[in-house]
Amino acid sequence: MSDREPTVIAKTVTRMVVPIIAVTAVALLVQGHNLPGGGFIAGVLTATAFVLLYVIYGLDTVRRTLVLRSEGYGFLSGPTESYARAFAGGLAIAVTAGIAAVAFGVPFLTQGVVFVEDIPLYGELEYASALAFDLGVYFVVVGSLLTIIAVVGKE
Amino acid sequence: MATPQVVIAPLLVALGTAVLALLTRWDTRVQRATSILGAVAYLGGVAALFRAVRLDPDNRLVYQVSGWDAPFGITLVADPLSTLLLALAAVVSLVAAVYSTRAVDLEGQRLSYHALYHLMVVGVTGALLTGDVFNLFVWFEVMLMSSYVLVAFDSGPASTRAALQYAVLNLLGSAVMLLAIGGLYATTGTLNMADMARRLAEPAAYGIDPAPVLGISAVLLVVFLLKAGVVPFQFWVPDAYRAAPAPVTAMLAGVVKKVGVYAVLRLYFTVFAAAPVAVSLPGIEGGPELGVLAFFGPVLFLLATASTLLGGLGAIDQPDLEGLLAYSSIAQIGFILLPVAVAATATDPAVRTVGVAAALVYSVNHGLAKSLLYMAGGAVEDAVGSTRLSDLGGLTETTPVLSGVVLVGALSLVGIPPLTGFFAKLLVFDTAVRAGAPLALGVALAGAVLTIAYATRVWNRAFWGDPGPRVQAAAAAALTRAGSTMEEAGDAVTDGGADPGAAPEDASAGHGDAHDQHHGDLSAAASIADPLLVGCTLALAVLLVALGVGFDPLYTAATDAASAALDTGAYVDAVDPTTAGEALADGGGGGSGGAHDIETLRSLRGDGR
Repeated sequence: MSDREPTVIAKTVTRMVVPIIAVTAVALLVQGHNLPGGGFIAGVLTATAFVLLYVIYGLDTVRRTLVLRSEGYGFLSGPTESYARAFAGGLAIAVTAGIAAVAFGVPFLTQGVVFVEDIPLYGELEYASALAFDLGVYFVVVGSLLTIIAVVGKE
Repeated sequence: MATPQVVIAPLLVALGTAVLALLTRWDTRVQRATSILGAVAYLGGVAALFRAVRLDPDNRLVYQVSGWDAPFGITLVADPLSTLLLALAAVVSLVAAVYSTRAVDLEGQRLSYHALYHLMVVGVTGALLTGDVFNLFVWFEVMLMSSYVLVAFDSGPASTRAALQYAVLNLLGSAVMLLAIGGLYATTGTLNMADMARRLAEPAAYGIDPAPVLGISAVLLVVFLLKAGVVPFQFWVPDAYRAAPAPVTAMLAGVVKKVGVYAVLRLYFTVFAAAPVAVSLPGIEGGPELGVLAFFGPVLFLLATASTLLGGLGAIDQPDLEGLLAYSSIAQIGFILLPVAVAATATDPAVRTVGVAAALVYSVNHGLAKSLLYMAGGAVEDAVGSTRLSDLGGLTETTPVLSGVVLVGALSLVGIPPLTGFFAKLLVFDTAVRAGAPLALGVALAGAVLTIAYATRVWNRAFWGDPGPRVQAAAAAALTRAGSTMEEAGDAVTDGGADPGAAPEDASAGHGDAHDQHHGDLSAAASIADPLLVGCTLALAVLLVALGVGFDPLYTAATDAASAALDTGAYVDAVDPTTAGEALADGGGGGSGGAHDIETLRSLRGDGR
């Protein structure tokens, strides 16, 4: 690809930063239904972590070490197949999360929330059904962005 | 109020099918079956909705997505106008989905075709159902984004160029649409269509000035007409329609265009017509009963006239079938808008109803006939390898069934009884006569003559006459494949322009009389066209005849739809944005969205959660 390897500093910083980005993304995802954040922005953040890896370590390393499944053929070979699967799966989660409301007899996409109280040490936990929808959005965003990056990057 | 879940059924079915088509990529057979079954289920969902709306005492079903009451949540409204066009979309999309399984290359189908196709249907469904102006924009985008890829699907230089042009134009249109919707929100303080109509009807009560709505709606009209391909926004049509695969073009010309027409009917007749803005133009005395329509009537009339004439003249001069059909689409959309224009300036409610009903019947007729013709064109291309009229000829001998189907489609466009097109044209003329608009009558007559001219040209050049060299080669190749008279036909298969692959199993060339054929006896090949493709077009032809012979149900549905489009009061009452709206309109401001207390909103939730 390029004639110069990235410096050790760049590689080390990437190793440190990528997990932090991932944790931040998860935090944004989990709080998304009633605080700033959400599936979309968490997905974009996760994609940036992948992009950082691609830039510093190259397409091949990421494919070998991170993305295990590499069947598929032609245009969608290697990690792209996994990304496309994440996209489709995410869409399925989001749609199912919406249809679940219909099964309960309330309009499409209606959300509910359950508060679990008196948990030792932690106090109160909030389970919002919107999280399932957000999770779907998250996978759609991650899958589609990485598909674009992987396909365009390969060319 | 019980939630009528049936309202969202078509939308969810199409969305679910798109997702399943993505998830079943591992087996193309399963994927294709999913796609077709999804299209069948979509038709079922639309039929259930159609029935439910008809059985409803108000003829309107309102659905508050996510349980948020209007005007804050997204409202879906199913009324006869939406369901009539949904029914058209369901029929065409089912036939085109079946057709696609043969007409689109397998790798393309595996990758994304079916998912994109059904997402386009999702966009169409959402746009037809939504009762929210911004949501309408979102559904337009869903529909267009899928169609960008579908237009470029052949990924040759020509289709890429056409798709780029199509995408840039429509993105520009979408940007303008967003701007206009922003302007509407700034003016009226709401995005819900029913709420907007309510506020526009009594601007003083809500402290708004309705005058800007005239300009904003003019900007919006440009966007809708761009999507409908009306002159002078028609220039993207021929390239895009030539580039897209035949089933996609069938959907674009048959259904997606009609969504632009629907948006005009819904927004201008149901919503904006309520605004008491007096417009006076030469020849039309604007009054409060006409409102902004007094302005849009003449504008629509001019554009419809230009479309009818330019499209018709352009169609006569096209070298290929697809280009001819594309120009014919431009002309026919003029025919659809002509009664709309007359209805917009008519003060008599009966004339208005007839005008809108005429536009709807014509939309259904054009949707069925044009998608039939495009799919037939695709079948010809599949069999012969070209749709240039100079390459064709004598198709009646080599593809008798397909030729019959094309005849039905072309005659329906021309308007011959007992086909649907006859009643569509009759209603257009009827509107012009009832409204006492000799100019509109003249335009319609001129358009009808042009339609006859180009329909005749297709028939004479492509279907009658001596078979062209490509047709002969294709017929000879079909004979060889059918396994008869190998030695005689063999020497004719030198051109090689025949269709690759598609083996016509039922090229019922008749093994019995195979022996007494001689070279050049093309009728022995029975049909060189793919039987599945021909079957799809045949289904639409049967429907065109059936709807024409038994015209009454379509007429009733169209008249109901027209009354629904014109009855702003009933629309507002059905959606009922008042309860939630009044609670928040403290101080009667209502200018902009304002800061809503989260607790107030919670208490307004339909189910109290």
